[in-house]
Amino acid sequence: MTDTPAPRIEAVSPLREAWQQFLRNKPAVAGLVLLVAIVAFVLYGRYFVDADPYRIVWAPLSAPGANEAVPLGTDFLGRDMLVLLLKGGAPTIAVGLSAALLTVIIGISVGALAGYFGGWIDDLLMRFTEFFQVLPALLFAMVLVTLFAPSLVTISFAIGIVSWPATARLTRAEFLRIRELEYVTAARSIGAGNQRIIWKVILPNALPPLIVSAALTVGVAILFEAGLSFLGLGDPNTISWGLMIGQNRSFLLEAWWPVAIPGMAIFLTVFAVSLVGDGLNDAFNPKLRSR
Amino acid sequence: MRLTRRTFFGASASLMALGLGPVSAQARRGGELVIVTGENPRHLNPAVQSGVATAVPGTQIFASPLRVDENWDLHPYLAQSWEWADDGLSLTLNLVPGVKFHDGQPVTSEDVAFSIMTIKANHPFQTMFGPVDTVETPDENTAIIRLSQTHPALLLALTGALCPIIPKHVYGDGQDIPSHPANTAPIGCGPFKLGEYVAGQQITLVRNDDFFLEGRPYLDGITIRIVPDAASVTLSLESGEADVGMVTDATAINRLNNTDGLTVTPRGFEGIGPIQWVAFNTRVAPLDDVRVRQAIAYTMDRGFILNALMRGVAASQKSPIIESSPFYNPDMPSYDIDLDRANALLDEAGHPRDADGKRFSMTMETIPGRDAALGNVPEYLRSQLREVGIDLELRASPDFPTWAGRLASGDFQMSMDIVFNWGDPVIGVHRTYLSTNIRPVIWSNTQGYANPEVDRLLNEAGHELDTDRRRDLYFQFQDIVGNDLPVYWLNALPYHHVFDDRIDLPLSIWGLMQAMDEVYWTEDR
Amino acid sequence: MGLSSYILRRLFYGLILMLGVVVLNFFLIHAAPGDAAEVIAGEMGGTTEEMMAQIRAHYGLDQPLLWQLWLYLKQVAVLDLGTSYHFNRPVTELIAQRIWPTVLLAMSAQLVAMLIGVVMGVLASRKPQGAFSGFVSVFSTVGYAAPVFWTGLMLVILFAATIPIFPVEGMVSARFRGSGLAYALNVAHHLVLPATTLGILFLAQYARLSRTAMIEVLGADYIRTARAKGLGEGKVTFRHALRNAVLPILTVAGLQFGNLISGALLVETVFNWPGMGRLAFDSVLRRDYPTLLGVLFCASAVVVIANLVTDLSYRFADPRIRTGGR
Repeated sequence: MTDTPAPRIEAVSPLREAWQQFLRNKPAVAGLVLLVAIVAFVLYGRYFVDADPYRIVWAPLSAPGANEAVPLGTDFLGRDMLVLLLKGGAPTIAVGLSAALLTVIIGISVGALAGYFGGWIDDLLMRFTEFFQVLPALLFAMVLVTLFAPSLVTISFAIGIVSWPATARLTRAEFLRIRELEYVTAARSIGAGNQRIIWKVILPNALPPLIVSAALTVGVAILFEAGLSFLGLGDPNTISWGLMIGQNRSFLLEAWWPVAIPGMAIFLTVFAVSLVGDGLNDAFNPKLRSR
Repeated sequence: MRLTRRTFFGASASLMALGLGPVSAQARRGGELVIVTGENPRHLNPAVQSGVATAVPGTQIFASPLRVDENWDLHPYLAQSWEWADDGLSLTLNLVPGVKFHDGQPVTSEDVAFSIMTIKANHPFQTMFGPVDTVETPDENTAIIRLSQTHPALLLALTGALCPIIPKHVYGDGQDIPSHPANTAPIGCGPFKLGEYVAGQQITLVRNDDFFLEGRPYLDGITIRIVPDAASVTLSLESGEADVGMVTDATAINRLNNTDGLTVTPRGFEGIGPIQWVAFNTRVAPLDDVRVRQAIAYTMDRGFILNALMRGVAASQKSPIIESSPFYNPDMPSYDIDLDRANALLDEAGHPRDADGKRFSMTMETIPGRDAALGNVPEYLRSQLREVGIDLELRASPDFPTWAGRLASGDFQMSMDIVFNWGDPVIGVHRTYLSTNIRPVIWSNTQGYANPEVDRLLNEAGHELDTDRRRDLYFQFQDIVGNDLPVYWLNALPYHHVFDDRIDLPLSIWGLMQAMDEVYWTEDR
Repeated sequence: MGLSSYILRRLFYGLILMLGVVVLNFFLIHAAPGDAAEVIAGEMGGTTEEMMAQIRAHYGLDQPLLWQLWLYLKQVAVLDLGTSYHFNRPVTELIAQRIWPTVLLAMSAQLVAMLIGVVMGVLASRKPQGAFSGFVSVFSTVGYAAPVFWTGLMLVILFAATIPIFPVEGMVSARFRGSGLAYALNVAHHLVLPATTLGILFLAQYARLSRTAMIEVLGADYIRTARAKGLGEGKVTFRHALRNAVLPILTVAGLQFGNLISGALLVETVFNWPGMGRLAFDSVLRRDYPTLLGVLFCASAVVVIANLVTDLSYRFADPRIRTGGR
């Protein structure tokens, strides 16, 4: 059996066109630049500031700018906010990425099967999806985290498990649309199996909106982790931005910065991700592009 | 203008003793009080529930036989007088005649007997009325408490929230008392009646016009607002949305201290004795070695904890007995921070550093929820233990039952905990150190600490009526545990009264866990 | 298929879903270590083993798990959600006290978000590549990207601590004893900060959605016809186009309920709003199964009903949609 070339061509050229469209979108480009800067800060910042984040270096709760040694001030223990911010970034983003990955894997699998096969499979899978949609996500995630004890792994899992239904619905809708298109019929007529049609023919063409959705899920997952940490259900052994907020919260009326700074970091990251996601959305959506 | 609290209390107490209690010349009738608290009660019956949350409303609704002032002096309340038998094995209470419950039924010695036996059977503090054999009721207004052995803490156990007199005609209907429906719709004979109870949100109390002390209470009503977040408590006191608070959050106390129009004082909590400590499981390695426990103590800077974490508002606490108590031994070792000493002790205990400078790693339990102090110390300890080569991993319990279960079953190495003295060491101290109290329940001797000498000293002190001899026994006890360190005591939880300057609020040793019949507004708010 | 049988079928599915929710959560919660007797014992201030056994017997915790589930389902069938371990009160009573504050908060936030969001989105759609459109997408993203509890905390610092013009906690002042308009005003004053915090979160979605929907609608033939007929741009936008863009906005509003409840949980925690989210959070920490299960049950019921209503209003607004065909 040979590969069907047509879908590949169909899939590639809009991508290039979309990229050019994306570059014309100023907020999206700004978001991308911001995102790259944040990731660079988190990955390579340790080459400039390297220290034990647990070390108590200065008087507790000293304000940013009050002393050169601790440019972003100190937290409630007197630990360096800059070092904490640096070390907390990777776990925060990692939770976002792994939860988004889980969301995408479950969501695409369920959505693709439902959309492609239709009939009772669709019915069953959509009931299953609805089931997860009627559960209040944060509350359900709290129950899951409570059950398995708070750690970054369980938190990522909990977030993934509560957020996949939207991706599944989107995938299903795309599959429903694409499976009726000519090139799918063509692929089927030359004897391509279900497996091949789902993963090699339909999925690449359904990808653009799914990429957007995955990008936005990263942001949602980061916010989720922060929310759980704020409620006291974060992983106490891994510094994350959410945990920093949770730990310093009780000193809020005395010192705003240990809460405001990690909050700002979360905000900027999610903001950048969302701008990029929006940009991709506009770029992939031909109706929006035409105007 | 404020009365000096002591003269006021003394005067009113002696008037009460005569059963008269006319309105004090300066006291003004009227007005309502809004109390804000972070404590969320399960129900309002302190007879079967310990803790501040239930005790604050509970002491307004229920009256106790005696009450106690700021100087630990006892005063008549429902009992107009009391007498010990010469052998110290029975106590006679003479009740104020003609007192009525909120539903109009008379309060009799039957109710007192019923209450004490109910508390003995159901209250978690088994030592309070443990030695009580029977309560005899020769007539309506006389109750005689018979003891199996002498019991120096008995009088204190008859005050405040420890001994609410509950109506037998309500609770004696055969239903399980800890889950009795009347616990959320209580009938007592205290100065206030329950108006409305919205579980977890607000408790409204209204004046009991038939209160047995003439002219009291001065207030028309009290609203207790439950606000779990310390910052919100602070801001509502600051803005005057609430008038009175019992605050433990350090940041809040400092901020309120600088707010005009508010009185902020740590006084009036001597009976509670809330001690924050690091608990060691003395049954598991490496903490079964006293040198390791001492080494960990030497890594902690109590000054840093008091000044940085507790923001300078908490008192130091080096002993199992609260430092304001007459039984506190000031010669307790304080284990001032000394990293060299800690390193030496660890070497000696056979835990050398490896190539990376690490000795071993340990876990510490943390409790979920919003009690900041409990989360901050482990975070500090992690930083400090790294300095001596110990890796500390925090094990977060997702909820309270998980934490309680782990401690109760001995499935832990270290944990933060806050345990109250509750007035007399017999009530709140013995439970942690007696080897006979190693039980699979929380706030018993969960450290698994066993020292026969400590058992002997505590048992003896438990029935010693002579205060000096008793103090001597407790001093010896403190010398031993100060060396053994089954727990390492850090500080007293900084309970503070915060109230509007225009309120006259007589203090006791129980914080707001006492009848507020004598509280009044000195001017309209 | 007729409308009523369609509704019946949806209701039936809804009930099955909720049954699933109850069963799943029942097992999840019971799978965790420790039990309610520990909580009750802990909150009583310590206890003895005998008391623990008593507590377990009293609440039926010593029964086999499947039997407990069966008993629970029988109760739920008659809308009895059991008794809270913590408060020893009927769960239905606890929820009844808190459901309206949550609904009020959620609806106000939804309304704020929808009104501002739609206006922003519509205005932006008129020039999709214009500066205002860019501003709208950036501005709406700002609200969406900030953690909702963090926004709340920052608002508390600003408007309750630094410039104290709004109350910081609760729904009504503790001292307040009035009724009628005065009561409504007192509640409204307390509502401003929480509703704004929660509203900001959803503003983005409405702005983005209405912008996209409007751009699509404005490209449709009938709008071209309307323009060709010489109708003014304002009339075209608001009379013809918006009416058609309302459908997707409505759909999202309905589907938003689950997220709204999650957001409300955090906002209620920050502002001590006496709602269900707060109750749920406290119940998780206390492992108060009956209350937690009850809240999950009610929250799912709210979502199921909201979805059904959305669906119906959707059909009502656009009769072209047929049942059965997907």
